Amino acid sequence: MSTHTGHPAQQGPEPLDLNDPRLSRFDIVQEGARRDDIEIVHYEPQVVAGSKAERRLTRTVAMMFLLTGAAATAFLIIYIWWPWRWEAGRGGDKWYTPLLGLTLGVALLGIGFGILTWGKKLLAKEVSIQDRHDQPGSPEDRRIAGETLLYMADELGVKRRPLLGASLLAGLLPVGAVAAAPLVGGLISNPHKNNQMFTTGFQPQDGKKIRLVREDGRPIRPADISAGGQLTVFPGIDGGVSNKHADSPTLLIHLREDDAQKSRAANQRKGHGDYMWGNYVAFSKICTHAGCPASLYEQQTNRLLCPCHQSQFLITDNAKPVFGPANRPLPQLPIEVDEEGFFVAKSDYTETIGPDFWERP
Amino acid sequence: MTSDNDRRRGLLARLRGRPVARSRGRRRLGAAVRLTAALMLAGGAYTVFAPGVQAQDNPPLSAAANEGKALFDVSCVTCHGRNAQGVEGRGPSLIGVGSASVEFQVSSGRMPMARQEAQAQRKPPQFTDEQVRQLGQYIQELGGGPQVPQGNLREGANISTGGELFRINCSQCHAFGAGGGALSSGKFAPSLKPASDRQIYAAMLSGPQNMPVFGDNQITPEQKADIIAYIQENLKGTQDQGGFNLGRYGPSTEGLAIFLVGIVALVFTTLWIAGKS
Amino acid sequence: MKRRKFEVAALPAKTAGALDDRFQAATPLRKVLNKVFPDHWSFLLGEIALFSFIVLLLTGTFLTFFFEPAMTEVVYNGSYAPLRGTPMSAAYASSLDLSFDVRGGLIMRQMHHWAALLFMASIVVHMLRVFFTGAFRKPRETNWIIGSLLFWVGFLAGFTGYSLPDDGLSGTGLRIASGIMLSIPVIGSWLTSSIFGGEFPGTIIISRFFIAHVLLIPALLLALISVHLGLVFKQKHTQWPGPGRTNENVVGERFFPRYVLKQGGFFMVVFGVIALMGGLFQINPIWYFGPYEAWVVSAASQPDWYVMFLDGSTRLMPAWEISIPIGDGYVIPPLFWPTVVLPGILVGLSLMYPFLEARRLKDYKHHNLLQRPRDVPARTAAGAMAVAFFIVLTLSGGNDVIADKFHISLNAMTWAGRIGLLVVPPLAYYLTYRICLGLQQHDREVLAHGVETGIIKRLPDGRFVEVHQPLSAADGHDGHGPALDYVGWVVPKKMNRLGALGPAIRGFFYPIEKPAEAPVSPGHPPVEPRPEREEIGSGESRR
Repeated sequence: MSTHTGHPAQQGPEPLDLNDPRLSRFDIVQEGARRDDIEIVHYEPQVVAGSKAERRLTRTVAMMFLLTGAAATAFLIIYIWWPWRWEAGRGGDKWYTPLLGLTLGVALLGIGFGILTWGKKLLAKEVSIQDRHDQPGSPEDRRIAGETLLYMADELGVKRRPLLGASLLAGLLPVGAVAAAPLVGGLISNPHKNNQMFTTGFQPQDGKKIRLVREDGRPIRPADISAGGQLTVFPGIDGGVSNKHADSPTLLIHLREDDAQKSRAANQRKGHGDYMWGNYVAFSKICTHAGCPASLYEQQTNRLLCPCHQSQFLITDNAKPVFGPANRPLPQLPIEVDEEGFFVAKSDYTETIGPDFWERP
Repeated sequence: MTSDNDRRRGLLARLRGRPVARSRGRRRLGAAVRLTAALMLAGGAYTVFAPGVQAQDNPPLSAAANEGKALFDVSCVTCHGRNAQGVEGRGPSLIGVGSASVEFQVSSGRMPMARQEAQAQRKPPQFTDEQVRQLGQYIQELGGGPQVPQGNLREGANISTGGELFRINCSQCHAFGAGGGALSSGKFAPSLKPASDRQIYAAMLSGPQNMPVFGDNQITPEQKADIIAYIQENLKGTQDQGGFNLGRYGPSTEGLAIFLVGIVALVFTTLWIAGKS
Repeated sequence: MKRRKFEVAALPAKTAGALDDRFQAATPLRKVLNKVFPDHWSFLLGEIALFSFIVLLLTGTFLTFFFEPAMTEVVYNGSYAPLRGTPMSAAYASSLDLSFDVRGGLIMRQMHHWAALLFMASIVVHMLRVFFTGAFRKPRETNWIIGSLLFWVGFLAGFTGYSLPDDGLSGTGLRIASGIMLSIPVIGSWLTSSIFGGEFPGTIIISRFFIAHVLLIPALLLALISVHLGLVFKQKHTQWPGPGRTNENVVGERFFPRYVLKQGGFFMVVFGVIALMGGLFQINPIWYFGPYEAWVVSAASQPDWYVMFLDGSTRLMPAWEISIPIGDGYVIPPLFWPTVVLPGILVGLSLMYPFLEARRLKDYKHHNLLQRPRDVPARTAAGAMAVAFFIVLTLSGGNDVIADKFHISLNAMTWAGRIGLLVVPPLAYYLTYRICLGLQQHDREVLAHGVETGIIKRLPDGRFVEVHQPLSAADGHDGHGPALDYVGWVVPKKMNRLGALGPAIRGFFYPIEKPAEAPVSPGHPPVEPRPEREEIGSGESRR
């Protein structure tokens, strides 16, 4: 049986006397390999010392290292002195980053291929064979390890003193819970606080209807949108045009006359008869599939496309999904025009905004 | 994209040392067919309604509009009908679309259309700027509608505002780098790279094909100038900071590049390292 | 008293001696230096992942010096004029500063991103190598599992990193991620709310992702990689069958001196390729996307390539909603299946595969020799099927770009993906299986009849036959040698391959030169086989 230590005395012809002055360094290396069960069966220098081939290869490798030095120097020079800042009118310098990449890349490739060539071409080729020794431990060793573990169980008396085990378990369980508690307790956050998943910024405040505003906060008159036009609108409240109200962005569309008629008829069917104002409709911009802004409005087909997963909604049919993975129409915002002539939301959305979830009614 | 194809075809033809025989020939043929059809239609119509023609001309057209009408009656009448009233199933009425629409469609070569398809494609224009102006003038005088103002369309523009407006109004279809994107069922938002200031302005004003209309009340002329400046000066003008931009298609081409460049280069290196020498 | 002379030359030896006195390092060191590694190009693919991970650590550390992981709103006032005056999160503003106001920051950012893509790409390529050659079989199942986990942990690392700059694209990705979490039945809304600290996007997610991206996930990756390498070291590398190579030995080069040089050089090459890509190819130009705003999106919003298959599956999923009419009613949205269930199945399948295969083949032996893919048609075909599945999904993840650039209808692309997902993988299975069988048969034919020479001979009766060069010595009775046994390794099929064992790559980069003359250098004496072991490599003879 071969042992893992593989002492050479058991296998080799005779143990080498490492103090023998006639031994070359290679002999010692080979002896070391032998002690690790490695046999160097083929060892063949690729170049003859002093030969033309060696000189050529040496030059090649040296050239690569020198190239590295040159490229690295160039990197430093460019890094320090090349004009790189972005300036209005001129833009940034389009060569700065590419030149840095080029010089750094060449420097690294130079040293890499230099080392590779050195190792591959100038060092001797070898074939060595090593034993794997991946047999499992001897049955005896396995037995001893197993018995030792069982012996520990015996000593602890797990079987004889069941109370110890049970009490330890009873003690450790709460400790485990203590470790988990701050993590869970600190992170947990009620999704239904303030009914936040079902309300948006268009929820009337103190009985006052919320205006629809543009991205710069200006309210919108009907004349602001041409027929066949669309405008992204926000609730006219504090922070309405910000990610604080990420579920509120809405698409206000001015339909052409015949499309508006279709849309009105569809609204009637759904019991949303008073959601439109004139030829204007407003739908949530947040896709009901995964929450991207579904905003690719095609004014001739009246389809609204979401660029993330290509769900398509038909605006003139209550924004019903007609293609792609979305399963639910975009919620519609009931709108009207207040006495000052600006668009307001009659009420909040009557359906849930954004991606579906388990407890959506 | 279309213009790319055209350019490529042109380059190929130049390399071959021949003129752009096929496409130009076909276009000429098409023009001839259209011309014949138009002449026959006009002739037929004339014999039937000879007295009526005089009567319909009652608002006197300006000289430019008259020139435009002549061009219209040769090239556009087949689909858009006499006096631009539209032909059922072939082309819409042009009453009220304004010179902005004409300018966009004709100067970008989309009109006259080569064939009926999901969406008109950009082609080399068939009319000179002067002819486009005349056609526009004719349509404008027929039914009014939006017009692109004269002069520098991005004077005093603020690129930063333009970027903000571009991202909220344009990038969802035309993409962050203005390279265009797909719409439903074969339609697409074209790349803005070949578009001129006037074409972008006209497109916003007139809402060609499926593009929504961005009237002057919604996006003021100053804001339009900002958007045009952002597209022309930032997206097209300044160079990309970080090297070759891979077409600005987003992560798709980046993923392609890591395999085609990174993995391929390194696999060749491994082949060399482990190869017997 | 005379001062002792200080010998510089003896210093290294003395230091080494002192170290060994204290740490007993000499014996273990000898074992490490003397380890034998088999040499094959495909064994270096995993190293690409390892080295790009090191580059990720280096560049990532640089980025943390400048990145501010906060969602507090600031007004940008840096160099990049087109965004000046725009309100944005501190995270996005600092990412812009990294790109425009930190000298050399852009190349670091780009190198980091390219290294991340390369990390994931090389993991996949390495995994394919391991799969198709059967390197995952006993005793290496554990390492296969760790490798699979590395892919998924790398996936998380990539996604958290993609989300950090808080630009328009990454915010859109985050929005979709929140939608995916929401779709999980029963706990979805609680989970999302807990992770985002309230309703999306909240104000804390960037800081949480930051600590996950720079501490938790890298630590996990580092731990897994260490165990992965440790196991490779302990179990020793697999090798291809070949002359002298058995299940019980390793034939190759010792770690020192040559193998370590190759590794070091290759690290530099990987680093260099990443530097070149980082400088020459622009990646994720965040300044065009603008700050993340919930109402802004760009056409062709895609995740990085290794997430794209999930985006694809989401796009292909039909709008099937399951509603449960209890109480107010409950919903399982269609988003749940392609983004939670599908990856769950994929993780499970990839972890289980070694055991499934062993069970099916009733093969519980140790395997240290690799198999050529053609020799195990069922596994190879199953792998091809998986690859086809992945590719269809990945292409569907970019189907809007493909539709736009190749003038195909977007809806047609979606349908092509839906049908392709059902049709292409089985087709890939069938074709691969047949190709494997065909290749096997050709191998046997060549072994039996020899290599086709391309020389056509006309027989006296008028027939034409091609002359074959037999692989074994003719035994004289019909010009053919005895049919050779197949040993699981490359069979030469062209005349110029005869005698060559490895793939004939040499000569690709360099002209083939005459081999060096016989070694006579005294430092490197020729090695003679020891007398009692004439035959090389038969590990049995040692026992």
